[in-house]
Amino acid sequence: MLGPVAFSLSAPSLASKGLALNIFDPAIFPILTADGLTNGAVYALLSLALVLVFAVTRVIFVPQGEFVMFGTLTLASLQLGRVPGTLTLLLVLLAISTVLNVVEALRRGDGRAAGLAAGSGVALGAGVWALTTTLAAAKAPLLVQVLLTLLLVVPLGPLLYRVVFQPLRNASVLVLLIASVALHLVLVGLGLVFFGPEGSRTPAFAEGNTALGGVTLSNQSLLVILVSAVLMLALYYFFDRTLTGKALRATAVNRMGARLVGIRPTAAGSLAFTVAALIGALSGLLIGPSIAVSYDTGFLIGLKGFVGAIIGGLVSYPVAALGALLVGLIESYASFSLSQWKEVIVFTLILPVLLWRSLSSKHHDEEDE
Amino acid sequence: MKRSHQARLTLTALLAVSSLALADVRVGVIVSATGPAASLGIPERNTVALLPQTIGGQKIIYTILDDASDTTTAVTNARKLIQENKVDLIIGTTTTPASLAMIDVAAESKTPMISLAASESIIKPVDARRSWVFKTPQTDALMAAAIVAHMQQNKVKTVGYIGFNDAYGEGWLAELQKNAAARGIRVVATERYARTDTSVTGQVLKVLAAKPDAVLVGASGVPAVLPQKTLNDRGYAGKIYQTHGVANADFLRVGGKDVEGAILPAGPVLVADQLPDSNPMKKVGLAYSNLYEGKYGQNSVSTFGAHMWDAGLLMQKAIPVALKKAKPGTADFREALRDALQGTRNIIGAHGIFNLSATDHLGLDARSRVMVQVVNNTWKLIK
Amino acid sequence: MTPRLILTLVAVLIALALPAVLPVFQVTLLTNVAIAALTVVGLVLLTGVAGLTSFGQAAFMGVGAYTTALLTTVYGWNPWLTLPAGMVVTAGVAALLGLATLRMQGHYLPLATIAWGISLYYVFGNSPALGGFTGLRGIPPVNVFGLDLTDPRRFAYLALVFLALGIVAAQFLLSSRVGRAMRALRSGTVVAEAFGANTFSLRVQVFVLSSVFASAAGWLYAHQQRFVNPTPFGLNVGIEYLFMAVLGGAGYVWGGVAGAVLITALREVLQNVLPSLLGTGGNYEVIVLGIIIILVLQFARRGLWPLLERLVPAGTPRLLARALTFPHRPDPTPGSVILNVQDAVKQFGGLKAVSDVSFDVQAGEIVGLIGPNGAGKSTMFNLITGVNPATRGSVNLLGRDATRLPARTIHRLGVARTFQHVRLFPELSLLENAMMGGYARGKAGIVASLLHLERREEAALQGVALAQLERVGLRDRAFDQAGNLALGQQRLLEIARALTADPAFLLLDEPAAGLRYGEKAELSALLRRLRDEGVTILIVEHDMDLVMNLVDRLVVMNGGQELAQGNPQQVRDNPAVREAYLGADVEEGAA
Repeated sequence: MLGPVAFSLSAPSLASKGLALNIFDPAIFPILTADGLTNGAVYALLSLALVLVFAVTRVIFVPQGEFVMFGTLTLASLQLGRVPGTLTLLLVLLAISTVLNVVEALRRGDGRAAGLAAGSGVALGAGVWALTTTLAAAKAPLLVQVLLTLLLVVPLGPLLYRVVFQPLRNASVLVLLIASVALHLVLVGLGLVFFGPEGSRTPAFAEGNTALGGVTLSNQSLLVILVSAVLMLALYYFFDRTLTGKALRATAVNRMGARLVGIRPTAAGSLAFTVAALIGALSGLLIGPSIAVSYDTGFLIGLKGFVGAIIGGLVSYPVAALGALLVGLIESYASFSLSQWKEVIVFTLILPVLLWRSLSSKHHDEEDE
Repeated sequence: MKRSHQARLTLTALLAVSSLALADVRVGVIVSATGPAASLGIPERNTVALLPQTIGGQKIIYTILDDASDTTTAVTNARKLIQENKVDLIIGTTTTPASLAMIDVAAESKTPMISLAASESIIKPVDARRSWVFKTPQTDALMAAAIVAHMQQNKVKTVGYIGFNDAYGEGWLAELQKNAAARGIRVVATERYARTDTSVTGQVLKVLAAKPDAVLVGASGVPAVLPQKTLNDRGYAGKIYQTHGVANADFLRVGGKDVEGAILPAGPVLVADQLPDSNPMKKVGLAYSNLYEGKYGQNSVSTFGAHMWDAGLLMQKAIPVALKKAKPGTADFREALRDALQGTRNIIGAHGIFNLSATDHLGLDARSRVMVQVVNNTWKLIK
Repeated sequence: MTPRLILTLVAVLIALALPAVLPVFQVTLLTNVAIAALTVVGLVLLTGVAGLTSFGQAAFMGVGAYTTALLTTVYGWNPWLTLPAGMVVTAGVAALLGLATLRMQGHYLPLATIAWGISLYYVFGNSPALGGFTGLRGIPPVNVFGLDLTDPRRFAYLALVFLALGIVAAQFLLSSRVGRAMRALRSGTVVAEAFGANTFSLRVQVFVLSSVFASAAGWLYAHQQRFVNPTPFGLNVGIEYLFMAVLGGAGYVWGGVAGAVLITALREVLQNVLPSLLGTGGNYEVIVLGIIIILVLQFARRGLWPLLERLVPAGTPRLLARALTFPHRPDPTPGSVILNVQDAVKQFGGLKAVSDVSFDVQAGEIVGLIGPNGAGKSTMFNLITGVNPATRGSVNLLGRDATRLPARTIHRLGVARTFQHVRLFPELSLLENAMMGGYARGKAGIVASLLHLERREEAALQGVALAQLERVGLRDRAFDQAGNLALGQQRLLEIARALTADPAFLLLDEPAAGLRYGEKAELSALLRRLRDEGVTILIVEHDMDLVMNLVDRLVVMNGGQELAQGNPQQVRDNPAVREAYLGADVEEGAA
């Protein structure tokens, strides 16, 4: 593997030009840094979601990037006045989870709960369906469409948890990971069915550019960084100050202990997935105006969030976020210096990180199965 | 597994019997309807439904398989079509690597194959193995020559390249370098990006630093918007060229004002309505567009599907000739079909006029491409 | 002939007939299945057996395929030389990845292999020497005895031979000492380490082995297609191999084969059926496949193979003829100090779980370590066995300073243990479970095991293990599955496993927990017998009655500190002990 990399350092793209350009050139470096931070901010958001989901449910949530894809493409569908396929997925998942809930309640012999589950499932489904079809046809204003997009995408989180992962909650991390990869394939496949092979963009929330100390940044980039920062602060507040957030953290530390203080692990899992879906959908809305998102865009974006999360050992929120920012920066610098090898550089980055983690800390084996 | 194999055996046997009885012509189609090349493969697949159901009085049976843009699947599918479906002709597949891998299968079984992929290496040189292989899309070489000629006319001396980090971007880079060298244009920057990248700022800065007179974006479909948008955002004032891989409606829809001014070579079908009435491709192109949009909706037509249409036209010409010599389903028929394909002259397709020969299994010339510019979010023929 | 053996023979005969009778396309499918199955068998060793997993097996195939492609086309090597070359290169890459990740929790390896699968795709694609994204063509066919294997039927036989060799090697490995240690990895590292295995090294070995299987499959692939490009070795293909293992049954070699057959057949069927049901708008195969995998995980987590296997009863395994006996460890001089704990301290953050505890155990005695809940007994147990070493102070075992030694080295000094929560392998027989205890007495490595060159050693191990089962009274159930035993018998089996190691010093962690009255009596009798036969025993126990009537001396701990030492009578009369227990624990313990 080192051979080709070393070889490419003398590749014609660099040598033939005879330009002594490097990434530290004052005209280049700030732009690359700003660009890296913009992308890194999105990766950081995703890495936080990944750490959260892993900490609470032990699920290594590979399909996190698919929420991003569903976010952008649902809004894009609404923009075109179409009813997004997301609605179908939502209704199918709602139906399955309602059936599961009803069966479970009946097994407990709790007819009232079963009726309640059935009724609320049907009512919710009908409500969302009516709202979506009406608003989609009416070509509602952007803000309404954004809210509708969140309404359609965010519930996918808890529903997927209910249908896919809750029945597996006693399984090993390995089994959960395999289920998670299978789900990723299903969601990407559905993305292609719902939205077609070509990507879409969504309208910009902010037009124009702003000059910041010699670097011109698009307002959209600034918005991405700003919203990401606000979201991260909100998450911090949520985990550190609110009872629910503390409960989630408690579940992460000790599932048994959390149960003792009255938090059901399934409720915590459901909540974690809701937050993950919300973060994913918002990220999708944030990047939608700058790039064309297609059905298979989400995976690589999610994976870059993963590299960040792994740098944080899948436990530390701040380290994961910093790691993700680092991924964004390295990606940006690499795309300037060695664009052919950018993917290799970004994904090989985790090897030294893993090696360092492996040597620097003592790991106790999780006693699975 | 054993049971299913048995079931399959009987099924195959039944099919074989029925095929002999009817002697229909069987055409196998492989396209990349999913995976990275899906935006090219789907219109190709859609076009199959528009192809004639009978040719020369014989029923044509189409079997369409998806290779998911994957080489192994393409090869396996080709074998399946040949062995199980007993096809007389294979059309496909969408991508160059997979088409290259299919050559051996076609040659071994002596089944003619019409590839829908770009690279010249699929049909050149026409050696023993390639003697069974044809293709309809203009080669990258033909298209790159058109771009470079346009650059030369417009006094472009230096060019930068930003292309996909895959076979598509690789093929275009090679052709650009070859053609540019021949016409004295220097390629001053070559950068690569991935289809799913969220930013190409780094690559664009690198290209800009080399101060090229023009930039060629070697990408297909909607992901080709990003480099052009970023070049605009960074205030690039030179000419921006795209490849014919972007010639579909989604590129314009998503690109919007960001792709205004892009110059690209394309098959004449893209701007059939703007062609002079004297141009023979106008009628064919318009007919195809109307047929396609009639079935799949307004603005749905793309040039990729027209490659399948052209393959259909070649087939319509060659099958009747072959039918005179042998019965479908036989090795003689396939050989006759190959010879008939090789002998087709003056077929007016949506993309050009095909004149095939024993040494040229594409048969397109410079009439098969026009230069087009994006003006007011539509394709405008450059006269 | 057992029913299973007959079925296997029938399967082999059918496999031999298939390439000759099937239509050529199905022969191609068969070859594809064989190549995939070879990779998946390697993956089974990794996933189902060792409890690790990898999404990068397709990438390893790629290394094998590209190695042969490059060496044969550019350097004109003979394909038979490129096969080992590819294996060596692949093994090197896998070792590197394994060394970086396998010291940590199991899920870091799959994550690293995702990253590696993506990277490698671009490495292949961006290396002009490897043909770039377009690929390398003109790979020569494999030549066997002067015959070029260009014909698909002939090639299918080659692929089947490779698969058969792979299956046999994997089965050989699983029925060996190294294989059993690998199985132990699935439930974590503690058991394997406790019986002397270096689990990190084992994990790296099994990962490298699985990559070598994939490399061989890649070599076959390259010479089948005679064309390589990066797409068949991408991440998605790697994921599919894992799905094959999961669907078929990741814990079973034949499950891996079944999975490869099933998914290939499923793909064919779906390809024919789905478009007519759902239209041609999308990649429904992937969606259906993904859903099937999720359902299998939810409802048949061990895959489909065990459901099949249940239908055909297994015959009684044959015992190997014994030609070798392990030497017995020299007994320590009676009365010499076996264990000396001196001022041991264990600190977790600010909490002292054990503070300044000292005591001795002498050869030939049974010593009890008791104390109320939270007294620090388990922590002390972990200090002695090397699971979690002391912060300060020293632990001396059989005359050696063992304070900082890892569990596997302590075991090799002559120390064996049982576990508070029974840690057996329920799907293995009692005999196999017991044999795991003798890991440290054998020497054969992974290569010898793959080739079954270690049968003499294996026979000796069987002999020892059977003798120990006899000793604890489980000889007549030696071939039952351990999962079918009652708890009391499981505890006895754990003791038999520990005894197979021929320990000088036996540590028992609450061996009577959950036992019925009669079982406790049997246990006491067994332990006395063992002492009389020269085994020194340290027992951590709650059950006061049992302890008081069994042990020679007692060490009482409370709140991490040593409360009292002495014979049972002395301890019973100690006011501090009485106070600590306040009757409550004594009552509970006796209940």
